[in-house]
Amino acid sequence: MGGAITILRPVPIFPERAFVFSALRWITAAAFTVGLGGCAAEPARGPIVVVDDAGDTVRLARPASRVASLIPATTELLFAMGRGGNVVGRTRWCDWPAAAARVPDLGDGIVPNLEAIAAVRPDLVLLYHSAQNAAAADRLRSLGMPVVQVRSDLLADVPRIAGLLGRLLGASAAADSLARTFDAELAAASVRPPSDPPRIFILVWEQPPITVGRGSYLSEIIERAGGRNVYADLPASSGQISVESVVARDPDAVFTSSDTIPGFARRPEWQAVRAVRDRRFIHASGSEFSRPGPRSPAAIGRLADRIRGLPR
Amino acid sequence: MMRLAGLAAFALIALTIGVGAGSVALPPGEVWSGLARADAPASLIVRNLRLPRALLAFLVGGGLGVCGAALQALVRNPLADPYLLGLSGGAGLGAVLAIAARPGSGWPVPLAAFVGAMAAVVLVYRLSVVSGRRLDPRVLLLAGVVVGAFASAVMSAVIVLSDAPQLRNAFLWLLGGFTASSWQTLGLFVVYSVIPFAMLFALARSLDLLALGEETALHLGTDVERAKRLVYVAASLLTAASVATSGIIGFVGLVVPHAVRRLWSPLHVALLPASFLAGGGFLVLADTLARTVIRPLELPVGVVTALVGVPLFAVLLRRNLA
Repeated sequence: MGGAITILRPVPIFPERAFVFSALRWITAAAFTVGLGGCAAEPARGPIVVVDDAGDTVRLARPASRVASLIPATTELLFAMGRGGNVVGRTRWCDWPAAAARVPDLGDGIVPNLEAIAAVRPDLVLLYHSAQNAAAADRLRSLGMPVVQVRSDLLADVPRIAGLLGRLLGASAAADSLARTFDAELAAASVRPPSDPPRIFILVWEQPPITVGRGSYLSEIIERAGGRNVYADLPASSGQISVESVVARDPDAVFTSSDTIPGFARRPEWQAVRAVRDRRFIHASGSEFSRPGPRSPAAIGRLADRIRGLPR
Repeated sequence: MMRLAGLAAFALIALTIGVGAGSVALPPGEVWSGLARADAPASLIVRNLRLPRALLAFLVGGGLGVCGAALQALVRNPLADPYLLGLSGGAGLGAVLAIAARPGSGWPVPLAAFVGAMAAVVLVYRLSVVSGRRLDPRVLLLAGVVVGAFASAVMSAVIVLSDAPQLRNAFLWLLGGFTASSWQTLGLFVVYSVIPFAMLFALARSLDLLALGEETALHLGTDVERAKRLVYVAASLLTAASVATSGIIGFVGLVVPHAVRRLWSPLHVALLPASFLAGGGFLVLADTLARTVIRPLELPVGVVTALVGVPLFAVLLRRNLA
C-alpha cells in the first residue's frame, strides 16, 4: 500500500537513494493492486520537490505548465490525464493519441536535440533515464530548464509515473484517477495463469535472433495474457540467442511484431523450430505492444484473444 | 608436410568440438546418434543446425585466412586484412540501406551487403589503376581506406536520417555471427567460393615473388600486373561472400597468416593452405565459444575472435622475439 507514496514523497537526498528507489519499484509493483490513494492527499502548495529515477532531486517553484515530453510513454500518460494541452514538445516516436501529432516534434528522445527543446521554452523536460541522456540532462539544467528523468519499462511504471506527473503538473487528482482506472483495467484484462500455459517465443529481431527475458514489458504482457515466455529465465531484458536453443525449448507459438508471415519463417534453419514449421505466429504490430502505457490493458486483452485462439 | 598435417588435425578437432558443443548441452552419445541417424531426437539440432554452422564457420575462417595472407603479400604491408580494401564500409552501407528501405529484414540484408562490398571493391580498383593499366599497391591501400571512410560516413547519415529504430540492429548483424547458417547457405558459399579459392591457390608462386618486390618478381618472369589483378579480384570476391554469409568478422584474416608465419616461415604454396586450416579451425572454435559461454545467449563471434585471438597472438609475438 505504502510503496508508491514512499517513492513520491519529498525526501532529503542521500547517496543510496537511487538503489533504494529501484528496490522500491519492485515492491511497489506488488503493492499496486491495493492502489495509490494517498497521493492525492498532498496539495501542490509551495515548491514541488520530487526524486526522479536518476536519483536526482528536482524542485519546481510552481506546477509545470509547458512540458517537453521526450518519452512516448509520458506523452501518452499526459494526454490520458487530460493534460495534453500542457505538452509543448514530443519525440518523433510519439504516435498516440492522434492529437499528439499536433505537438511540435523535437526529434529523438535518446540524445535529444537541445536547441529544439530550448526553442519551445519548456518549464519541465521529461527525459528517459539512460546513460546516453545524462549529459543532455546536465546541459538542460545548466540552461535553466528543470529535467526529470524517468524509466518507463514495465507495467508497474505506468501508475508510478502517472503519480509523479500528477505531482509535477499539480494534477494529482487526475493522475490518481488514471492510476486507479489503469489498475482496475489491468486486473480485468489479466488472465488467471492456466495450469499449462501456451509457451511463447518472443522474437524481437530476426538477424541475429534477439528475444526478451522476464524483465521486459513484452514478457510481462504475454504472461498476463495467459502465455509463458520460453526465455523467462533470461536475466537480461533482451539478448541474442541461437536457433538451436529455440529448437530445444520447442515453443508453441512465436510472437512477432510484423503483421504478415515474417521473412525469417521461410529461412531453412528456422524450419527446425516446430512452431515456425507449423506457422503458429502471434502477430502484434502497433506501439501499444512495445511500450507500457494507458493502452496496455487493451493490448493484453487482444493478446489474450490470440493466445486463446492457438490450436492446442 | 608434417606441420600441414598437424594443422589439418587441429582443424578436424575444432570441427568435432564445434559439432559436439552448442547452446543446448547434449551428451556425446546423443550427438553421435543425431549425426548417424536422421530419426534420432538430436538429429534436428546436430544435422540441421550445428553441422552446417560449423562447416560454414570453417570455410569462412579459412577464406579470411587465405585472403589475409594473399593481400599482405600483394600490398607488402603486415597490417593488410581482408576488409582493408573498403569492403567492410561498402558492406555496412549496403546492409543499412536494405534495412532502412524495408524494415522487417530477411534475406535482402546479406545480399545488399554483398552488393555494397562489390561496389566498394570496384571503386577502389578504379581509383588504384594508375598510368595506364598498372595497379599500384600503395594507391590500393589508400583508396581502400578512403572509400571505406566515405561509405561509413554515408552509412551514419542514413542511420541518423532514417525512421527505422531497428537500424541499430544492423550493427549487430555486421558484428558478425553464424546464426543464419543452413545447408543452403553452406551450399551457396561452397559453389561460390570454389573459383576464388582455386585462383588464390594457383597464384601462390606469384605471391612469393610479389612479396619480394615487384621488380624482382618481374625479373624472375612473373606477369606482375596480371597476378596482382587476379589476387585482388579473387580475394575481394571471397571476402564479400563471407561478409554476406556472416557479417564482418575481424581479426582472423589479419592475425592467422602472421601466426602461421611465426610458427614457421613457409612459402605461399604452404602458407595459403596452412592459413586456410588455421583460420578455419580458429573460427570454428571462436564460434563454439560464442554459442556456449553465456548460453542460451550468444556473443557476436567477432568479439570472441578478438578477445581470444589477441592475447594468443601477443604471446606468439613475444615468444619469437625472445
